[in-house]
Amino acid sequence: MDADTTYRPLFLNHIDDSLRTEIKRNCSVDVELCMECGKCSGGCPNGHVFDYTPRKIVQLVKLGDRQTLMTMDALWICLSCQACVDRCPSGIDIPAILDYMREKACRTGAKTSRPLVRLFHELVLSSIRGHGRVSELDVALKYNWKAGQPFKDARLGMRMLFKGKFRFYGNGVKQRAEVRRLFEKSVIAKDVS
Amino acid sequence: MQTKRVINPGERIPRVPEAVFLFRSCTGSLEYPGTESAVKETLKFLGVEAVTDPDQTCCSGFLQACSAYKPEFCLAVTARNLAIAEKKGLDTYTFCNGCYTGLSEFSHTLLSHQDQRAAANELIGRWGYRYEGRTAVYHVQEMWYRLKERIAEGVVRPLKGLRVAAHYGCHYLSAQYGILDDAGYPTFHEELFEALGATPVFYKERQLCCGYSVGRGFTHKEAIVQPHLHKKIKSAAVAGVQLMTTVCPGCNVALDREQPNLNRLYGEEFHIPVIDLAQLIALALGVPASKLGFAANTTSLDHVLKKLNCDKGS
Amino acid sequence: MTKAGKTALIIGGGVAGMEAALRIGQAGFDCVLAEKEEVLGGTVLQLSSSFPRWENPLELVEERISQLKLCGRIKIMTATSAIESRVSKHGYSVTLQSRNGETTNLDIDAVVLATGFGMMDVSVYGEYGYGIYPEVVNSLEFEARIKAWSAGLGKVPEGVAFFKCVGSRDRSKGYPYCSKICCMYTAKQAGLVKDMFPYTKVYVFYMDYRAAGKCYEEFVREVIEKKHVTYVRGRPAKILPEGGKLLVRAEDTLIGIPIEVSVDIVVLASAAVPRRETGPLAEMFGAKADKYGFLERQRFSLAKASDRVFFAGGCGFPLETLAAQQEGASAAAEVIELFAHE
Repeated sequence: MDADTTYRPLFLNHIDDSLRTEIKRNCSVDVELCMECGKCSGGCPNGHVFDYTPRKIVQLVKLGDRQTLMTMDALWICLSCQACVDRCPSGIDIPAILDYMREKACRTGAKTSRPLVRLFHELVLSSIRGHGRVSELDVALKYNWKAGQPFKDARLGMRMLFKGKFRFYGNGVKQRAEVRRLFEKSVIAKDVS
Repeated sequence: MQTKRVINPGERIPRVPEAVFLFRSCTGSLEYPGTESAVKETLKFLGVEAVTDPDQTCCSGFLQACSAYKPEFCLAVTARNLAIAEKKGLDTYTFCNGCYTGLSEFSHTLLSHQDQRAAANELIGRWGYRYEGRTAVYHVQEMWYRLKERIAEGVVRPLKGLRVAAHYGCHYLSAQYGILDDAGYPTFHEELFEALGATPVFYKERQLCCGYSVGRGFTHKEAIVQPHLHKKIKSAAVAGVQLMTTVCPGCNVALDREQPNLNRLYGEEFHIPVIDLAQLIALALGVPASKLGFAANTTSLDHVLKKLNCDKGS
Repeated sequence: MTKAGKTALIIGGGVAGMEAALRIGQAGFDCVLAEKEEVLGGTVLQLSSSFPRWENPLELVEERISQLKLCGRIKIMTATSAIESRVSKHGYSVTLQSRNGETTNLDIDAVVLATGFGMMDVSVYGEYGYGIYPEVVNSLEFEARIKAWSAGLGKVPEGVAFFKCVGSRDRSKGYPYCSKICCMYTAKQAGLVKDMFPYTKVYVFYMDYRAAGKCYEEFVREVIEKKHVTYVRGRPAKILPEGGKLLVRAEDTLIGIPIEVSVDIVVLASAAVPRRETGPLAEMFGAKADKYGFLERQRFSLAKASDRVFFAGGCGFPLETLAAQQEGASAAAEVIELFAHE
């Protein structure tokens, strides 16, 4: 089968500034301040693994490309180390943009290249809802099971168990109800099953 | 918020308080209880009472790094935690970079947005909590640097030129404004090492993130975090580092507990013990090693303790 | 000084100040040229070459000095600074002080400020290690290196990297403005290194290159295409010491991949800022300065800062040698016009 050679340039007339203003409003980030210097990407510890380097991520906002922003790999493997923000001559907070896009990706059910990372976050949140705190045992077991690697950390788990690092019972906090109420009042709580 | 980037310690902590609310860290107090002990011992030496309260919860800051949610939850949790400190009339000191960022960023949001503060207070008001912004948030590393001279004077076990490397972590310096040093080339930890009689080592990847960042160390450890850590620890090993310090239990977990895995995966022989800066200070101040919880460290520091003549017993 | 005629005081003996003094003197008015260093010439004395013609800047300075000396109406006072000034009947009464402590009082009818620009202290960029690694230098310091190499001194470098926009175009830690001349002088410096050491690798890290002037674009293209300096688009993130050399980390933004390069010397094209003397002098003479300390001209004027006070050159904004001379001449024209009508 031949490769798709259809000419498909990005037609700038179709781009409005809605994403840019949305990011400005919700993340307090003004991407027009970006001068495309690349200092962010230069210092990014994971830049070599990102499909879109930090500078490119800002460019995606400028181009209004919500789709790419919500489905790109970089969205889920950013370490939030803040090195980019610290060095940016315009102070552009790229992690804030990513935080926001992650939330949107979850809420709109966007297809992600790293479903396991999404899974992890959802398990963390549901653990809080259930136990009032993140019960690592709860999250780890469920994660490995759902990720199809049920015995991945079994050896480590055994060692931890014998060292008394966790218990199978009593993993909740005393005032679970308080936390649950806080959780439910938070708008997005509904999205977490 | 502070508009100056770097401020000197006297400006950051104008008057050393007599007591502080010590905010415990989920990772810190559970993974490395020795860190919490060390912090308490050092504060005690400095004449500062550390007040804790079991009513506090996790700072919830880690959720921001994971972030698949909206912050109302974290704002309410932060307001509640800080309300506890406020009720005691104390400033809040934490010993985890993550808590520091979580508490200070969220408290800044609460204080600069009337409506968010009102919403959070309404939520927590049900159980009698109220946050008004009367407690300031600090990290204990700021206290150590502020009282560097007092610490230097109190050293009874000088570290005999031990080659110590700093790992600053990302989330204290990333505050950018109103902090003790700039992320470009921080040196205040190294100054503390010198005050303790150790030799600071500036290794190539000194400022590299630890890579663990809430959850990444779990969800893609092999793919991304381990190669990343290998880069970091290798550069420390090449520079002849004998001990590394952190100011974040999260970083401590990454740097300490992954070393055996890295050795196995990459055929290395890394053995660089990683402890909290407070534990190092406490050791130099003469606190017995048995009180500092080193049993929790995966990469043992027995050989270091022996070198400093403070083997487990003393 | 003859009290009968008009006298102008020019503070600053760089190319702008020298030009102003020369024009005013040749027009038949007395002037005093006060320069705080021992010699005239200013910043241009430190330069090893010029753009766009690769000429020796010292020749220009020497030419001007001999012309100044020939003109009978110009009094040159080196190692002298203005320390005090009062408004007087016809202008200002200024106290000048030389380095050995001697003071002189002058009644002047106009003053031209030409105190020039300096380099920002870029040690605030900890990620670049200026002040920490000895082989990280700013562009003016690098001119001295070039001069040393020309004289056969100093080790031959294997690799040199130039960073443009260090402190310029930076709202976060530096100044938002563009310092105008760095793209050109960096190309010049890079070209000179390649001329001296053809086997040395030379890299210029840029965001843009600004070559707006006669023969400027051709100059930069020559450096890239004929002298084979490698231009990489990307503002470097960090310098790391490794193996006795300096490792530069950046992104090649045109492809979008992380890159690293190991060099011996890194030259930081630092933002140009007004010299420290400018602020107090501006205050002394009632001249307005902008928030960065650069002098501001009054509306519709070319060089006038306030009543009987003019300025020229780098103290107004960074600029190249020829432009500084042109500004000196403009300031002189306004002074001459003022004197001629009184």
